[in-house]
Amino acid sequence: MTKLMVETLDTESTVVNMGPQHPSTHGVINLKLHLKGEVIEAVDPHVGFLHRSIEKISELTQFTGFIPYTDRVDYLSAMFGNQAWCMAVEKLLGIQVPRRAEYLRVIACELNRIINHLIACGTMAMDLGAFTPFLHGIREREKVNDIMEKICGARLNYNYMRFGGVSRDFMPGLDKEILDFLDRFEKFLPEFNRLITGNEIFEKRLIHVGVIPPDLAISHSLGGPNLRASGVDFDLRRDFPYSAYPEFKFKVIIGGNYRGEAGDSFARYMVRIEEMEEAAKIIRQAIAGIPEGAYQTKLLRNPVVPSGEVYSRVESTRGEMGFHVISNGTDTAYRTKIRTGSFVAMSIIPPIAPGLMVADLTAFFGSLDVVAPEVDR
Amino acid sequence: MKELYDSISTSWQLSPGMMSLVTVLWILAIAVVVLAFMATFAGVTSWVERRIAGRMMSRIGPNRVGPGGSLQWIADGLKCFLKEDVIPQAVDKPLFRFAPYLVFAGCFAAFAALPFGYGIVASNIDIGIFYISAITTFVVLGILMAGWSSNNKWSLLGGIRSAAQIVSYEIPTGLAVLTIVVLAGTLNMQEIIKQQGGWPWYWFIFHNPFSLVAFFIFFSSILAEGNRTPFDLPEAESELVAGYLTEYSGMRFVFFFFAEWANLWVMSAIITTLFLGGWQIPGVADLGSVIEKSAGTVKYLWILASVASFFFKTLLFVFIVIWVRWTLPRLRVDQLMIMCWKYFVPIGFICLIGSALFAILPQTGAWYWFQLSIKLILTASGFGGVVILLWRSFYNIRALDDKIYFKVWE
Amino acid sequence: MVLALKNYFINIKKAFVSIFEGLAVTLSYLARKPITIQYPDRIPTPVQEMLPSTYRGVLEVDMKICTGCLACMKRCPIDIIRVDTFRDTETKKNYITRFDIDIAKCMFCGLCTEVCPTGSIRHSTEFEASSANIINMVLQYVEYGDKVPFYKPVKDQEPVSIPQNEAFRKVHKAWNAPAPIDPEKVRGQVRWKSDQSAEDKS
Repeated sequence: MTKLMVETLDTESTVVNMGPQHPSTHGVINLKLHLKGEVIEAVDPHVGFLHRSIEKISELTQFTGFIPYTDRVDYLSAMFGNQAWCMAVEKLLGIQVPRRAEYLRVIACELNRIINHLIACGTMAMDLGAFTPFLHGIREREKVNDIMEKICGARLNYNYMRFGGVSRDFMPGLDKEILDFLDRFEKFLPEFNRLITGNEIFEKRLIHVGVIPPDLAISHSLGGPNLRASGVDFDLRRDFPYSAYPEFKFKVIIGGNYRGEAGDSFARYMVRIEEMEEAAKIIRQAIAGIPEGAYQTKLLRNPVVPSGEVYSRVESTRGEMGFHVISNGTDTAYRTKIRTGSFVAMSIIPPIAPGLMVADLTAFFGSLDVVAPEVDR
Repeated sequence: MKELYDSISTSWQLSPGMMSLVTVLWILAIAVVVLAFMATFAGVTSWVERRIAGRMMSRIGPNRVGPGGSLQWIADGLKCFLKEDVIPQAVDKPLFRFAPYLVFAGCFAAFAALPFGYGIVASNIDIGIFYISAITTFVVLGILMAGWSSNNKWSLLGGIRSAAQIVSYEIPTGLAVLTIVVLAGTLNMQEIIKQQGGWPWYWFIFHNPFSLVAFFIFFSSILAEGNRTPFDLPEAESELVAGYLTEYSGMRFVFFFFAEWANLWVMSAIITTLFLGGWQIPGVADLGSVIEKSAGTVKYLWILASVASFFFKTLLFVFIVIWVRWTLPRLRVDQLMIMCWKYFVPIGFICLIGSALFAILPQTGAWYWFQLSIKLILTASGFGGVVILLWRSFYNIRALDDKIYFKVWE
Repeated sequence: MVLALKNYFINIKKAFVSIFEGLAVTLSYLARKPITIQYPDRIPTPVQEMLPSTYRGVLEVDMKICTGCLACMKRCPIDIIRVDTFRDTETKKNYITRFDIDIAKCMFCGLCTEVCPTGSIRHSTEFEASSANIINMVLQYVEYGDKVPFYKPVKDQEPVSIPQNEAFRKVHKAWNAPAPIDPEKVRGQVRWKSDQSAEDKS
C-alpha cells in the first residue's frame, strides 16, 4: 500500500509583538509571540524597559537613605522591600530588633500582602474582561491606604522600616481601625468570590491553562503563590523563619484542592484569595498579642556598617525577595543585588507558553502576577 | 406611515413625475428622522452606560458636562469630530476608509423594519424579522475590511475572530427567531406583536417552556452578534488593545462605536417585539383592535401609550445588556464556538420542534386550559426569578452592612 | 454516554447559577453609595484638613526653631535641601542665610524630618504644590537677602512651633506666578560670602 504523500505548504509563524505598551502586560514588558493562527509556538520575552538602576544607586546612597528606594523596587507591596533591606543591614550591623517592632513589621507586611493580592486578583479578572471586580478590590485597598497613611504617612511608598525597628509607633486607635477593616474585609471576600471567582466563564478560562509541574517550578526557582499552587509545600515564613512569624499560627495554602489541577492558573488565583484570608488571621493574632516596648533601637545617625556579605530573604507577595548586600566598611554599600520573584517568573513563560492560545497567554501571564518594576528594578 | 403616504398621494392630485419626487423626498425624510433618532440614542446610551458602569463599580460616571453629565456625549462627539484624521501609511486606503460606513450601514439599515409603536414603523415589510437578521450580517464585511486593511496583525486577528463569531451565531439567532415565527405564523414585525396580548402570560416568552429557553438562546446569540461582552473578543481590550479598531482614530472610530451602541437598540427592540409583546400594554387585551376602533385624539393617545410601552420594554433590555457587560468576563474563541455549536444549536433545534408542537395544539376545551395553565406557571416562574434576583441583591447589601442609597442624580 | 449528558446539563446549570449570582452582586451596587470624593469642589472640607497630621506632604520649615545643625541636609538621599550658614565674627552669632528645598525632586521620604532635633523641618499636609515654572518649585524658606539666627534650644522646654501648613502657605507662590527674573538667586552657585560656608555633601 503506497503511503499517501501529503505535500505541506511551507509556512512561517507570524511574529507579533505583545509590545511594551499593552493593557495586560502589567507594566512595560515586551513579549514576542510566534503564532500559528491563534496558537502560540514560542514566546520570547524582552525586559528592561523599566530599568531604573536601583542597584547602582545603592552604591551612591547611604544605607539609611536607600530605604525609600527599596520601596520602589516593587511599589505594590513596598513593605517587603523595606523589610528585606533592613534585615540585611541589621545582620551586618549585628543589632537586634525589639519585639514590638517585629510585630509592627509583621502587621504592616501582612496588610501589604492583602492589598497586593487584591490588585493581583482584580487585574486577572480585568485581563479576562470583567472590569468590575478590579474596582471593588481598589475600593478595599483605599481603606488600607488610609490606614497606611496613619501608620507611616504615605499611601504607596511607605519608607516605614529603619535599621533596628520601624520609624513610627502606632497612633492610638489604629488597632481598632485595622480590626474594623478586617471585619469588613472578611465580609467582602465572599461577595468578591460570588461576583467573579465562582463565575463559570471565569473558571472555564483558567482551569487547565498554563499548568506548571512542581519539578519545573522548583528548577526555575519560582516562589510564593506560583510555587505553592503547583503543590510544593514551601513557605519562607515557616521553613526559614524570620521576624516574628514563629509566634503566629497560619496555614500554608497549597494548590491542588480546587477545580482543575494543581499548577494551573485557577490554582494560582485561588491560592492568592486564600492567602488573603490567612493574612487577615495573622494580623488579628499580631494585634491581639502585640507587646509593649520600644519601636526602634536607637542608632547613630549614620551607622558605619562593618564590611561583610549577607543575603536576606523574605516571603514577598510574588515569591522570594532577597537582598544580597556586600559592604566594605564605608557608609554606602559596595554592591547590592536584588532578587525578585517576578524576574524568575518571567523565566517560566517560554517553557509553558507553547500550545496556549493568545487569550490563554493573557490569563497565564496575569496569573503569574508579574509586575514590571520588579522585573527590571 | 404607509397610511399617511397613501392619504397624501390620493388627496393631492399630482402627475406621476411629481409623485415619484414626493416619494423620494418622503423616503429621505423618514431616513433622516430615523438617523437622528439612532444618533441621539447612540450618544445618550454612551453616557448612560458610563453612568451605570460607574455605579456598579462604586464610583460616579461622568457628571460634570451639562446637568448630571448628560451632554458628555456631545462633548465627546465634537472632540472626535475635530480630531486629526490619521491614516497610517501602509494601510489599504480604500478599504480602510470604507469599512466604518459598512458597519454603520449594516446597523442603520436594520432600523428600517423596527416597530416603534402601533403603526409607527419606517417600512412595514412582510419579511420583517428575516430582513433584519440578514442585514445585520453586513457588519461582518465591515469588520473584516477594517481588520485586514489596518495592516496590523492584531487587528487581523480581531477581524477574523469577529467574522467567525458573527457568522456562527447567526444560526442560533435564526433558530430562536423561527421558534417565535412558528408561534406567530408571520414574519411581519407588527403582526407578530398583534398576535401577542397585553398581559405577560400572553407574551410569546411565556407561551411554552421551549420559547422561554429560546429567549435565553436568543439573548446570548444577539449579544454575540453585537460584539458585546461576554462575547467581545474582537475588541478585547486586554488582548488586542482594541482589536480591529486599533488603527482607527477620530470620526471613523466614533462610527464603529455608534454602530455598537445603536445595535443595542436594535437588539433590545427585536427582543421586545418577538418575546415581550412589543407595544402591547398590560391590562389592554388586543391593543390593535382598540386603536382601530377609536378615533380622534383618543386614537393618538393610545398610539402614544403604545410607543411608551415599547420604549419602556426596550430600554429595560438596553439596561440588561449594559448590566451583563459590566459583570461577566469574556469567553475565549474556542469556548465561544463550543457554546454555539454544541450548546445553542442543538438546544435551539429542540426548541423549534417543541414550539412547533405547541403551535399546532387546538385552542378549545381542555387544551385551552392546559395551555393557559402552562403560560401562567411560566409567568409566575419568570417573575419569581426576577423577585429572587432582587432579593439576592438586597442580601448582598445587607451582608456587607451597607446602607441602601438610591440617589441616582449625583 | 450518560456521564457526558449529565455533565452537559450540569455545565448549563452551573453557568446559569453563577451568572445569576454575579448579576445580583452588580445590581446591588446600583443601590449603594459611590465612594468617590468629588475633589476639589463638591466636598465639605478641604482635603488638606481631612488628612492626618502625620501625612507626608510637602516639606515646610519653621525657621524660628531651626538650630542650623544641617542634619537634614546631610540626611537627604537626593540632596535637595540647601542650607547656607554664616557666622558673624564680630558678634559671634550664627545665622542661616539660605534654606532652599527643591520639591520638584523631593520624594517625600521623610528622612530629613526624623533627624531634626526640634522638629522645625516637618511635613505639611499640603500636596498641591505644582507650578508652571520649575524654578518656582524651589521653596525658599529664608528670603533672599534675609538672615535668621540659629535657635538655641532651652533645656527641658519643648520648642513652640507655628501650626502645620502655615510656613508652607507663606512661602508657596501661586501656580502661575512668573519665574524670578534672576534665576541665580534661586538655584546655582550664588552663595553668601561667609567665613564658614555650609559643608557640601561629598
